[in-house]
Amino acid sequence: MSSNLLDIVANVMEVQVSQIDDESGPETIENWDSFRGLILFEELESKFNVKFTLNELLNIKKIKDIKNILSVRGASLNE
Amino acid sequence: MQSQVEPNLSYFIAKARSIDGRSFQKKIKVAILSSFTINGLEEALRVKCAESDITCATYLCGYGQYNQDILDQSSKLYEFSPDITFMIIDTRSVLSTLFYTPYTIPANDRRTYIDKRVADFVNLVKTFKNRTGSKLVLTNCSIPTYSPYGICEVRTEYGLKEMVYDFNARLSDAFRSDPQVFLFDFNSFVAKYGEINVLDYRQFLVGDIKVSLSYIPHLAEELMGYVKANLGVNRKCIVLDLDNTLWGGIIGEDGFDRIDLSLKPPGMAFMEFQRVLLALYQRGVILAINSRNNEDEALRAIRDHPFMVLREEHFATMKINWSDKISNMKEIAQELNIGLDSIVYFDDDPINRELMSKAIPQIKTIDLPDDPSLYASTLMQINDFNTLVMTNEDRKRGEMYREEHKRTELKRSSSNLEDFLKQLEIRVTMKKANNFTIPRIAQLTLKTNQFNLTTRRYQEEDVETLAQDHTKLIGCAQTQDKFGDNGITGVYIVNKNHVDKEWFIDTFLLSCRVMGRGIEDAMMGYILSKAKEEGVIKVKAEFIPTKKNKPCEQLLPNFGFKKEGEQWVYTYNVPIKQTNHVELNED
Repeated sequence: MSSNLLDIVANVMEVQVSQIDDESGPETIENWDSFRGLILFEELESKFNVKFTLNELLNIKKIKDIKNILSVRGASLNE
Repeated sequence: MQSQVEPNLSYFIAKARSIDGRSFQKKIKVAILSSFTINGLEEALRVKCAESDITCATYLCGYGQYNQDILDQSSKLYEFSPDITFMIIDTRSVLSTLFYTPYTIPANDRRTYIDKRVADFVNLVKTFKNRTGSKLVLTNCSIPTYSPYGICEVRTEYGLKEMVYDFNARLSDAFRSDPQVFLFDFNSFVAKYGEINVLDYRQFLVGDIKVSLSYIPHLAEELMGYVKANLGVNRKCIVLDLDNTLWGGIIGEDGFDRIDLSLKPPGMAFMEFQRVLLALYQRGVILAINSRNNEDEALRAIRDHPFMVLREEHFATMKINWSDKISNMKEIAQELNIGLDSIVYFDDDPINRELMSKAIPQIKTIDLPDDPSLYASTLMQINDFNTLVMTNEDRKRGEMYREEHKRTELKRSSSNLEDFLKQLEIRVTMKKANNFTIPRIAQLTLKTNQFNLTTRRYQEEDVETLAQDHTKLIGCAQTQDKFGDNGITGVYIVNKNHVDKEWFIDTFLLSCRVMGRGIEDAMMGYILSKAKEEGVIKVKAEFIPTKKNKPCEQLLPNFGFKKEGEQWVYTYNVPIKQTNHVELNED
């Protein structure tokens, strides 16, 4: 399944796609609190058909981390 | 069972933002108290309310603060002044460490522990009720599927599962007849979706979330049952197609012997569907048919097919003809005197469904799956038939509509109205407000719109208080005739002023089912005579016009009440109007 990661993030965090890049995360996006973070993971899990581990959830600090995990799992990122 | 498709929580979060500030026809304030993190439920409820034309304001208590919120008289909860409060508790919080290690202590101590926890909650609810009139929906606890004792758990005296089972049973007992408190069967909710799905360990560990985000929309959907019932926005009637809906195949083509309806699949799927419909009929949902068919062929199947579960007697009305289904539908609503917005429509044909939802969007047209094996579970997912209380009148509604059908026939065959009324042999029994009648009295004040002089709404608790007040007279009328018993259909509330020998009619209403048969006159005559017996010289009343209560506009002038300012006054200078065709008794 191919989906655009940035679109999903933008949608959940209610920001413009242009406002986010690989370095974006809870530090740079105001809406990205722990609750929104969990909603994002839930959304990514259903869109990319993957399951994150607890450690992955705790260690994702920026978009780049998500990309790395997804690519390790073989999810196809439509970029 | 097939589970309902719900959008992800992210949809509700975004949507909640977009409807912020918009207002809808009905309003409700909902508070959420929880023993764990339940973010997102507020948004899901607000969005679902908006979809039902309800503006919903929400309050979520701070994390772990529900005790303080209830105990502290000046808390934010009471300041918010909710209409409904959901209190969602979980097994871990109730059992504390006994959830993990129940067998640290002996069975007797486990019993004592549960005794104490039940008492804690009963007291907490008591405090809540002292401080607010809000309805309270308290969840029970989900019974753990795991036990450290494994297969020996069931042999263990008052083991882990039995503790929770007992806790739940005792909460049910404690609040069974409390009109302000409802128990939400959270254990069933978890069973429906599965404990391993509802609890996502990662979310639990990261954020003390005990209903995973994927299931928050489902929980919101179930809680909407209370919200809608509290506002009286429930649906009352299921309208059904016949071919490929109540049976498989087409009666006009396949014939009586060839339709699919039997104790074996595929015909069994339709029997299964009909059985669920029958159970809803027994709880008071009205059934009707809207089908394009030759009436005689279809009726033969309904009357004589050995595997029909539903028979003619179960349908309040049947439109089996070649007219278009939309006109049929409008006729059904008119004949049953119900709003189009209280109808749920089942039809296997997507084109018919499309036409119906375009023409009459107020009707809930069910997106019926192609596979008949899913019909029964689709029906069981519908959460629109709830009422907060179930009265005898609800349970007998189907029968009553059937009787009504016979009355309509009699009316058609009678030469004039007077003749018809005489032949009905109407008997009215005036009853006092007591434990048996109070729930129905409250229900009628809450939902009667047409024949209602003042449209004052009273909750069950209010009626109880009024019934104990010696300066009030509150009662109801049970009506029957030769076709059957209509149950309690009329209510009156009078304020007595002994000093000035005056009575004031606070409430006078009659269910629309029995309007226009002189029952209203018999009731008013009864009140006026009763007042006279007590030496009253003046009876005052009000007519507060609304969009819907035109049918009772003439009641007061017809009895010789004269308008004085905002009020109507009767001073016994004309004799009390007699209603000779009605036999009146007092109970």
